[in-house]
Amino acid sequence: MWQVTNKKLMKANSSLDISKGQIIRKDLRRNWIIYLMALPVIAYYVIFHYGPMYGLLIAFKDYSPAEGIWGSPWVGFKHFDSFFNGIYFWRLIRNTLLINVYDLIFAFPAAIILALLLNEIRQMMFKRFVQTISYLPHFISIVVVAGMMFDFLSRDGLINQLLGMIGFEPIDFLKEAGWFRFVFVSSGIWQGVGWGSIIYLAAIANIDPTLYEAAKIDGASRWRQIFHITIPGIMPTIVIMLILNMGHMLSVGSEKVLLLYNPLTYETADVISTYVYRKGVLEASYSFTAAVGLFNSVISLILIVSANAISKRVSENKLW
Amino acid sequence: MERKGRKLGQMLLVTALAFSLAACGSSSGKDQAAGETSSKGKTAEPQKLSHLTYWVSMHPAAAAQMKSYAEMGMYKELENVTGVKVDFQHPPTDSAQAKEQFNLMMVSEKLPDVIETSWIGYPGGPEKAIQDNKIIKLNDLIDQNAPNLKKLLDEHPDWKKMVTTDDGSLYMFPFFRGGDKVRVFYGPSIRKDWLDKLGLQAPTTIDEWYQVLKAFKEKDPNGNGKADEIPLYITNGDIGTDAPFLGAWGINYGFYQIDNKVSYGPIQPEYKEFLTTMNKWYKEGLIDKDFAAPNDKLFDAKMTGNQLGAAPVYNGGGIGKYANLMKDKDPNFNLVAVPYPVLNKGDQPIWGQKDFAANGIGAAISTSNPNPVETVKWLDYAYGEKGNLLFNYGKEGEAYKMENGKPVFLPEVLNPPSGVSLQQSFGKHNRSTWSAPFVLSDDFQMQYLALPNQKDALTIWSTPTGERRMPLVTPTKDESSQYASIMTDINTYKDEMFLKFIMGAEPLENFDKYVKKIETMGIEDAIKIQQAALDRFNKR
Amino acid sequence: MIAQSTGEKVFGVINTLLMLLLCFITLYPFLYVLFASLSEASSFIQHRGLLLKPLGLNFEAYKAVFENPMITSGYRNTLFYVAAGTAINLFMTALGAYVLSRRNLYFKNILMFGIVLTMVFSGGLIPSYILINKLGMMNTPWALLIPGAISTFNLIIMRTAFQGVPVSLEESAKIDGAGEFTILFRIVIPLSMPVIAVMILWYAVGHWNSYFSALVYLRDRTMYPLQLVLREILIANSTDSMSTGVAADDKYAIGETIKYASIIVSTLPIICLYPFLQKYFVKGVLIGAIKE
Repeated sequence: MWQVTNKKLMKANSSLDISKGQIIRKDLRRNWIIYLMALPVIAYYVIFHYGPMYGLLIAFKDYSPAEGIWGSPWVGFKHFDSFFNGIYFWRLIRNTLLINVYDLIFAFPAAIILALLLNEIRQMMFKRFVQTISYLPHFISIVVVAGMMFDFLSRDGLINQLLGMIGFEPIDFLKEAGWFRFVFVSSGIWQGVGWGSIIYLAAIANIDPTLYEAAKIDGASRWRQIFHITIPGIMPTIVIMLILNMGHMLSVGSEKVLLLYNPLTYETADVISTYVYRKGVLEASYSFTAAVGLFNSVISLILIVSANAISKRVSENKLW
Repeated sequence: MERKGRKLGQMLLVTALAFSLAACGSSSGKDQAAGETSSKGKTAEPQKLSHLTYWVSMHPAAAAQMKSYAEMGMYKELENVTGVKVDFQHPPTDSAQAKEQFNLMMVSEKLPDVIETSWIGYPGGPEKAIQDNKIIKLNDLIDQNAPNLKKLLDEHPDWKKMVTTDDGSLYMFPFFRGGDKVRVFYGPSIRKDWLDKLGLQAPTTIDEWYQVLKAFKEKDPNGNGKADEIPLYITNGDIGTDAPFLGAWGINYGFYQIDNKVSYGPIQPEYKEFLTTMNKWYKEGLIDKDFAAPNDKLFDAKMTGNQLGAAPVYNGGGIGKYANLMKDKDPNFNLVAVPYPVLNKGDQPIWGQKDFAANGIGAAISTSNPNPVETVKWLDYAYGEKGNLLFNYGKEGEAYKMENGKPVFLPEVLNPPSGVSLQQSFGKHNRSTWSAPFVLSDDFQMQYLALPNQKDALTIWSTPTGERRMPLVTPTKDESSQYASIMTDINTYKDEMFLKFIMGAEPLENFDKYVKKIETMGIEDAIKIQQAALDRFNKR
Repeated sequence: MIAQSTGEKVFGVINTLLMLLLCFITLYPFLYVLFASLSEASSFIQHRGLLLKPLGLNFEAYKAVFENPMITSGYRNTLFYVAAGTAINLFMTALGAYVLSRRNLYFKNILMFGIVLTMVFSGGLIPSYILINKLGMMNTPWALLIPGAISTFNLIIMRTAFQGVPVSLEESAKIDGAGEFTILFRIVIPLSMPVIAVMILWYAVGHWNSYFSALVYLRDRTMYPLQLVLREILIANSTDSMSTGVAADDKYAIGETIKYASIIVSTLPIICLYPFLQKYFVKGVLIGAIKE
């Protein structure tokens, strides 16, 4: 894979006056220690990531454990066909994408906002206290969280009692397809916002404090400081997180959905991973799973590459 | 200079780290190789068996108190008797993960000597495992060296049929449930104290059920002055298990056979009648409003909160569990088993939970085993008289004693200290509360079930004939992958529509459209696959 | 000026209230778990809705968890995996991040793209299993430490932080004759301590919670990490009724509270890590230290 991209890059360079050989030689001479430092890292990626990549082949085979990856018979695009032509294909794509879009619109900024608000707390002890408390739910197993949600969200549960007090009819949150995405994403924020804010808090801590001092001397208000120093200061982190998030747009973990959904909410809740799970119950279909995974990978790659290209154009930040 | 020195030192460290890892890897690799040659060395003298590797998933109840089955009373004694030391290899207790590890293990060349698992779940069936050269065919070996199992199979041709492949191969030492009493553990239950309070009889037909549920709804049997009773709790998971209620119409929630002809339940006219009835019950508030989104914790809370009138439950996890939970809180609480409902009074139910004598689990001998003959003899011990006692109960004097010629568990085994479950207490001595290659006896079960209600439940739930059930057939590998493609979509659709029809979100007039849709999704092909597999099974 | 400061005061008050509310709704699940673990099992089963204190007080569930013979070995193993694993992770990730954060590297983009590709494409479990087997790491702690030596996600985050280190500092160090390793360990890492702290947290929590590699690669139960032991306890107490459906005793009730006790037992130590790392989140302290 590397050689291919390498060639392209070299082609692009060949139009320049200096020969690429010269550039490379100069680069190697100047940076040989850095390349030496990269060696263990490269070795790691080659052995543990690129080495096993031949496993992708099983997407085009009928894999059986006894025959192994090489020995199993080729079947071409059979598994892709069966996935794309399934009557639920578009519903699965839509549901998976929408949950991720909701997540991007609500959960992604929530962590940033929390970090900004935490940063505005002047009382050190209180700040640390809030930080520590808000990250706790991350550690509660999803099975327990789902159990609490069933209890609180049921027809006669806590949330409906509260809604009843202000005059609402009880809502069957977990049995109405229309509510599923809201319930899923908001509970995700509840569980993950504190944990998610940590990286932004770290980024904020890395901002040069002299910038704030200068701003204070200029009489800039706290709002101005937030918008003109803090946010630009953590922008690289935000952009990188956003680009990396693009790689997950077609994946929603199956565990939480499996706990929360039921046939009544399949309409909005059934995602690719849960469908693959249900198929796996009938037959341990390694090849089908691999085919779906490969499809997923290709889409993710397209999204990451595009996000990176856009980011390169509109900001200084890029992955490569 | 100094700086350079440090730089070099750090670099050396990195390379050293990389090399040490590689070295570590190769050295343990050598160890493995050495292990292999030594085990092959044994092939030279096959007469005496002294050592076996045995791969089996550990049951959670045992995993809670021991590191390997070798610590179990029964296996310690077995080693004394046979002189064979068993080296157990346990995958994680989680069944899905154990399966994962099993599939990965099948990739490797060197297998454990004995592999105990659900062989019927091997992709393509057990015959494929023999063809793949993973396990060996046992027909001749059993014929010549396993007199106990041979006798058992000769006495029970129907059992033999279950553990033979379509091609006539025997491939494992199977787990058998000896009698009816150890095959039944699930069925409908009802609050007897509520019935008594309202002067009602236990319902047997669908119409009687309707009357009883109606009374539960309206006559405040829990006596709290509020109409908070939930007469019936039933989920599509329940119906899918062994068709309580739906079975009254003679069909199930999947494939069934009448006179060896396969049909699919959810597209039959009877299914529409069932849905119509359930829809009516739901509308009248007789079925739990939460039935579409089942949750164990909520179920527990409703049952122990005196709200639920009836539900299909497990014998231990339902009747036993709630009796224990409620014995101090509400002495009147009395959840009892009732027969599977039928349409006409006096009919014998057709559908109900009853496991087959064999469930596809058993111990097979791998192709890596250097001494199959002696291993067969060793495994056969469990099916003899002494082995039977050992596997069902444990070691005499430690787990049980003989009273009037019958084995009886010692009181310390039957009454474990608080915090230790009865299953764990048994698990210290034997494997009879789950599965193992032996014949599980009814006697054992009657000692295991503590409460009279549980013993009654066995009798009451044993009535269904089960005549329409599909036996454990084995589709070929191609069949099973085609089947999975078809049925994943059909099951999704069927489950969605089940709830929508009952809750009224989809009018029942659309039932024909629903059937059409399932037909276009390829149900005929799935039926053909099942039919072919059934035909092969019958020819065994 | 005055108007501004009242505005800021109001903002401060609202912010504090918001944070208190956040504390309440995020602390509650944890309290729920704690209360549930201490509750009388049979009353807890019956209970619905908010749990504001333990229902009764009962340590049975904890007793059951600690009675498992593998709990101590599980704790010991996990501590080792967390310490050794995080050390390897940090070293390798810092190395990679440093290389990728250099500005004038000809092959940098190719390296980066090659690394990002592995985030998206993976050969799956089977070839990895074969690889681990061939490397002889099967059933050794290495199988839990080496294959995950670098998380690409973390690598990219760390690189982004390293890129933020002022070039001027590095250049002046170079003029003083510092080599690449000196720059990495003496300048770049100390200046990126907040992110290093995050990495420690992410990696350590990752190792603490991980069980999958152990499930797949370990056969010897004495090497099981804590999470795997606790999973078995959970399974032992939740599947009894489903799989066999024959046993009957009060253990079923405890099963529910054991679930919660094991969560407390398995998370309390790792939760305590964060407060220790928070001191690195303070602005400017480190820059000052460097400049000294």
